[in-house]
Amino acid sequence: MKRVLALMLVLTVAVMIPAVAMAKTIKIGFINSITGSEAPIGENLTNGVILAIEDLKGKGVDVDMIKEDDMGKPEKSMAALEKLATRDKVVGIVGPYTSATSNADAKMAERYKVPLLIPAASKEEITRQNLKWTYRVSATTGDYGTILLDLATKLGKPKTMAILNENTDFGVSAAKSAEAIAKEKGIKIVFAQAYSKGSPDYRSTLAEVKAANPDLVFMVSYAADAILLMRQSQEIGLSPMAFLGAGAGFSVAQFAAEKEISNGVFSSTQWTKDAPWGDSKAWFQRYQSKFGKAPTYHAACAYESMMIMGQAAAAAGDNREKLREQLHTGKWNGILGEVSFQDYDGYQNQRKAQMLVEQIQDGKFETVWPAQFAVKKPIWPFPGWKK
Amino acid sequence: MAVFFQSLISGILIGGVYALIGIGLTIIFGVMRIINFAHGDLLMVGMYLTYFLFTLLHIDPFVSIIVTIPLMFLYGAFLQKFFINRVLDALPQNQILLTIGLGLVMSNTVMLAFTSDYRILTTTYSSSSFNVFGLSISTPLLISFAITIVITAILYWFLYRTDTGQAIRATAQDRGAAQLMGINVKRMSIIAFGLGASLAGTAGALIAPTYYIFPQVGSVFTLKAFVITVLGGMGSIVGATLGGVLIGIVESVGGVYIGSGWKDVIVFVVFLLVLLFKPSGLLGTSKD
Repeated sequence: MKRVLALMLVLTVAVMIPAVAMAKTIKIGFINSITGSEAPIGENLTNGVILAIEDLKGKGVDVDMIKEDDMGKPEKSMAALEKLATRDKVVGIVGPYTSATSNADAKMAERYKVPLLIPAASKEEITRQNLKWTYRVSATTGDYGTILLDLATKLGKPKTMAILNENTDFGVSAAKSAEAIAKEKGIKIVFAQAYSKGSPDYRSTLAEVKAANPDLVFMVSYAADAILLMRQSQEIGLSPMAFLGAGAGFSVAQFAAEKEISNGVFSSTQWTKDAPWGDSKAWFQRYQSKFGKAPTYHAACAYESMMIMGQAAAAAGDNREKLREQLHTGKWNGILGEVSFQDYDGYQNQRKAQMLVEQIQDGKFETVWPAQFAVKKPIWPFPGWKK
Repeated sequence: MAVFFQSLISGILIGGVYALIGIGLTIIFGVMRIINFAHGDLLMVGMYLTYFLFTLLHIDPFVSIIVTIPLMFLYGAFLQKFFINRVLDALPQNQILLTIGLGLVMSNTVMLAFTSDYRILTTTYSSSSFNVFGLSISTPLLISFAITIVITAILYWFLYRTDTGQAIRATAQDRGAAQLMGINVKRMSIIAFGLGASLAGTAGALIAPTYYIFPQVGSVFTLKAFVITVLGGMGSIVGATLGGVLIGIVESVGGVYIGSGWKDVIVFVVFLLVLLFKPSGLLGTSKD
């Protein structure tokens, strides 16, 4: 009897859903670094989006997702956006992953007047160029630096800092923000350098960092360079008060698994399984059981972005202008907490994000900051290298 | 000053591995006049071999080259026999397309089989080092440098002292004349490609303990190998050895004094300068 009732209920609801949502599926584009050297983190975004499409179906929104691979290259990403906007005629686009590709695509979205929702790229300038069609779920590199230095100055009294960043859009932007925030907090920058990624040898640069003897070492790097940098830091014997990592490469499971070199390293993040919003823990488990891996914050950001895009597009019908209005005025509540897009501090259409800091303790990411969301106490200062 | 010597020494050590990659490419080019754009991918295959030998069979990466070298030789010989030999007389752009294609097939097959995850080979000595006069020297890099020297020495002995080696060199000098002298040039090509592949694979094995492994890792090294080979003089083995060490030093020292983000720029400026004043490369003879 119950089952029949449930079935009837479902049927009535189905009939009541507007014809637009029922009659046809919504075409949404998704650009991501599926292959290429950014692929390991790109995979997180793809998986996040897959979960979002499942959940959207549960909400009665049928998404026809058109996936494009940009290999992490801006020119490929722009071509992908062009194709999605003109040939596939999608109503909106989620992606791409990296800062370099997102910055390029943001301008293309403006030209083709197609709503672009950027899930995980954090270069500040992306949402600071008065673009009408670009919206961003991701936090900015300024947020990354702020939360990390907030932690460092509350826990200790660092006076000097070294910045070592990858010479990509993301790396340069993160380093610039960190430098500005450090100045505000009265921390002197004793070393700042951008490196080109993928080099097997950072020892000479790290030797220079060591010679500068900084209290804090702030590093910005994508996936695997983080492991290399830390490994060679150990080799050189670089042991500051704290290692601060700006997300990306410092927030992946492979990094944490290298217990010998990852222990005690802090990393800023936009989401953890302990995040106090939505049903983060359950979502973490669902992801892990489906894909056999733990998700990074990128997955959560991509999931939420697709959820927002799907819901907004369903409400807007097949109209890009209406979809943009939806994004502009709407409010959503999911695993990233309440999301709305605002204009502040020179940003447009930017989510104000609550950042978290994780610390790797014994091979596991533990949320340690800010204090009200922490599940473990931070280890301060850096415990030193195991001999 | 300590920073200078520190960067010099890491430059030389990493340069040894670069030399190994360059030598492989230069042998292949010398014998067949084919630029092997799959060279970095061969290195990647060597890395994965090493990785699995270590994680599944617990063979130390440096010991595993005993297995890697013959396996990679066979693999290279197979590629030569069934693919490259067919395009030896084709247009150069077709040869380039073939090697690029082979490289893509390799990296994407590996990606399908083992996903795009970065893999890190962690040995007990992966980040160990010791101090000499206040300079820290990486243990794994030093071991790999020593192995590089031994392998290079054996290679020189083989190419200069054995009949087969001399036949390979003869083929490299003049394919037609070598054939007239009764040298089986097809077989020499197979041996040359096998050698090139096993050298690339060995280089992969040697940097596996200190680098990271992923399917697209090859592209970084293909470009490097190409620069090293052209810099040293295409086809010159001594030139490639020199070029490899030089690139290692330039990267490392230049990274410190000009900025590590400029590493590649410095390398290419040096590269262009050499070509400007000596178009055939450091030790190249302008032939062809």
